[in-house]
Amino acid sequence: MITRNGNLLEVRDLRTYFHTEDGTVKAVDGVTFNLRPGETLGIVGESGSGKSVTNLSIVRLIQSPPGQIVSGEVVFDGRDILRLPEAEVRRIRGRRIAMIFQDPMTSLNPFMKISRQLMEMTRLHLGYSKAQAYAHAVKMLETVGIPDAPRRVDGFPHEFSGGMRQRVMIAMALSCQPELLIADEPSSALDVTIQAQILELIKTLKQETGTSVILVTHDLGVVAGMTDDLIVMYAGKIFEQAPTRELFAVPGNPYTKGLLRSVPDPTSARGPLYQISGLPPDVAHLPPGCPFAPRCDRAEEICSKEFPPLVEVNQDHHSLCHFAKEVYAQSVARSSPSIGMRDKPELIPHPSAGKK
Amino acid sequence: MTSSGNTATPPAELPVIDKKAEPLISIRNLTVHFDLGRERISERRETNGAWNKKEIDTAKFVKLALITIVLTLITLVVIVVTGRTVTSNLIALVIGVVVVVLIITHEMFGDRGARQTVKAVDGVSLDVFEGETLGLVGESGCGKSTLGRAILRLTGPTSGKVLFRNRDLAQLSKRQMREQRRHLQIIFQDPYASLNPRMTVGEIVREPLDTFRLAKGRKADERVQALMETVGLSKRFIKRYPHEFSGGQRQRIGIARALAVDPEFIVADEPISALDVSIQAQILNLLEKLQHEKKLTYLFISHDLRAVRHVASRVAVMYLGKIVEIADAKAIYDDPLMPYTKALISAVPVPDPTVEANRRRVVLEGDVPSPINPPKGCRFHTRCPYAIVACKEVVPPLVEIKPNHLAACIRISAEQPQIESVPSGQAPGLVAASGINS
Repeated sequence: MITRNGNLLEVRDLRTYFHTEDGTVKAVDGVTFNLRPGETLGIVGESGSGKSVTNLSIVRLIQSPPGQIVSGEVVFDGRDILRLPEAEVRRIRGRRIAMIFQDPMTSLNPFMKISRQLMEMTRLHLGYSKAQAYAHAVKMLETVGIPDAPRRVDGFPHEFSGGMRQRVMIAMALSCQPELLIADEPSSALDVTIQAQILELIKTLKQETGTSVILVTHDLGVVAGMTDDLIVMYAGKIFEQAPTRELFAVPGNPYTKGLLRSVPDPTSARGPLYQISGLPPDVAHLPPGCPFAPRCDRAEEICSKEFPPLVEVNQDHHSLCHFAKEVYAQSVARSSPSIGMRDKPELIPHPSAGKK
Repeated sequence: MTSSGNTATPPAELPVIDKKAEPLISIRNLTVHFDLGRERISERRETNGAWNKKEIDTAKFVKLALITIVLTLITLVVIVVTGRTVTSNLIALVIGVVVVVLIITHEMFGDRGARQTVKAVDGVSLDVFEGETLGLVGESGCGKSTLGRAILRLTGPTSGKVLFRNRDLAQLSKRQMREQRRHLQIIFQDPYASLNPRMTVGEIVREPLDTFRLAKGRKADERVQALMETVGLSKRFIKRYPHEFSGGQRQRIGIARALAVDPEFIVADEPISALDVSIQAQILNLLEKLQHEKKLTYLFISHDLRAVRHVASRVAVMYLGKIVEIADAKAIYDDPLMPYTKALISAVPVPDPTVEANRRRVVLEGDVPSPINPPKGCRFHTRCPYAIVACKEVVPPLVEIKPNHLAACIRISAEQPQIESVPSGQAPGLVAASGINS
């Protein structure tokens, strides 16, 4: 069940390119990471940074052409998914690696009853009989907290609200008890209070089932509370990789630093917000050198000429920058004595009467 | 003020918030209804859960079959009585036509019930002061965008007043309103949909100058260039089309267009929601810079509570068409009083793992109810962890709980502002509410 080093998933030097009329888009370019069982990994990045393509590559859902997984290894359970025959991948996809996507309306078939869509999973992968699969579907809907599940299981997707649909997606994803759940922006299309519900749900289900999770999002707030480790992507590359707490406290990359500072701080009053200047890069035409160099405060001559190295600034903490060590040292100096970036012990007062 | 109307609505008068300043915009008892046409009875049964689809379909079929059988029988009887004559054939034909007409009318109208309206905005009173940014937050479908649009009359208000410099915008003729729009502008959420794809950037920014005859020829060109510079777009782009720009740049074009007429008041309707994180900060900073330079007043509508905290000086919280709390931004975030606001604030994920680890979230149960048939009494009672029986019956008025801090909840009052410390079952705000409702 587990690979050589106790990892559930090992991604090595993954490269996924898209061949377009505009040239080759290196959507994912040399991504490497490990995921231990029961761990939650966050992948953060702006649109076009390659975070979704990374995950689609892991389950081999890249449409070819125009896409192509050029090189790399995705070792899951000791076997390289990229080199397995398609039939074998199908046995893993959905059963052992499940996915939930941002927009639950487009991922559910509007013409099929929820029950049938849920039953498909267990009948196909676990060989359940119709009756077994139906009972399991009801049970899964109950697990994800859909009220009146026995009746609603025969409803159609349009009869469910956005939050409820996402719950159905989660029920579907978890119905074969996968070892890995890939959640691609699971709460971004939802309202704040519903988002909180869905995130709490993923958290509790994860604790109950011990599933590993890869959580893809653009919202730094979401990953802060949910993940153990974090990857920051930019222009198809991993810019920084570290345990979540460490990355937030002592970022070792100018891009991460900028991202963290540009999120409005709910405690601070008004005043100009830190902004990363310029525009996200055109991945089809990347400049030589560091792709972030044109927007970077700290850029020097070397940055626009040479591609930066991936520097290990601390244990398990890597940063893609010519000046990673300096940036990291700066963060450390600023964060000590108290690790916590800014002085905010209790950010938002929680109503103490929040009884369940 | 407005005529008192029915007794259930909260008072039109707002307690004075800032005695120093005259409000730039005063909204009084503004209501916006959307007509959804007649409801289908079958749908209502469905939503009430009494019948499911199959049962409804069966019932329809049985009804139609019965009508057909009865009419066929009558035809047969007529034929038997009159014998096979020309008249009998005619009668049979007439009855046949009646059957078809009945079936068609039943399909078209028989299934219709009462007219349905959505009260997207329901009796909202609000002041926006000169030079401030009023944040308007709430979940999707709560009516915040409709409120913003109703101020500019992009959506016609059903009743109530919108006073801009003491002129009621709701009463103006179309032409007069058009003139007023010089002072009142809007920035839309979707920079893709709000720019005409067939116009160049120069033309887009110039259009308001032509419409209001503010500048011509060379002067207009200069003004367009200056505007583009103001919002941080290079003059080189003037001949380009919207599709050549990224989301953030398009939003800048939208801002330049809004600024072209030198407005005093701008409704910013989710201006950063469609943008990337690093670009959001750029747009927020731009809006703030412009506010300083041009003494603008903003109504900043957003579901992003972090952004609102950053830009707004005061914040109003909406739920299902009503304002449930309004106060200084700091007070809303640090000391929310109304249970919905509490839940909303606590749901915001904070980008700090240490904080997130120690936080207790109030996770609300259930979804936002449908605005077609909003809950009676306090509209939040279906999801409120503090709701008592009275909450189902009494519409809570928006009252001043603390200085300049208004909340709509009968379970708190000026004497007992913290709902946690109010003994269970008690509703100290009920006196105030009943005093107004009676």
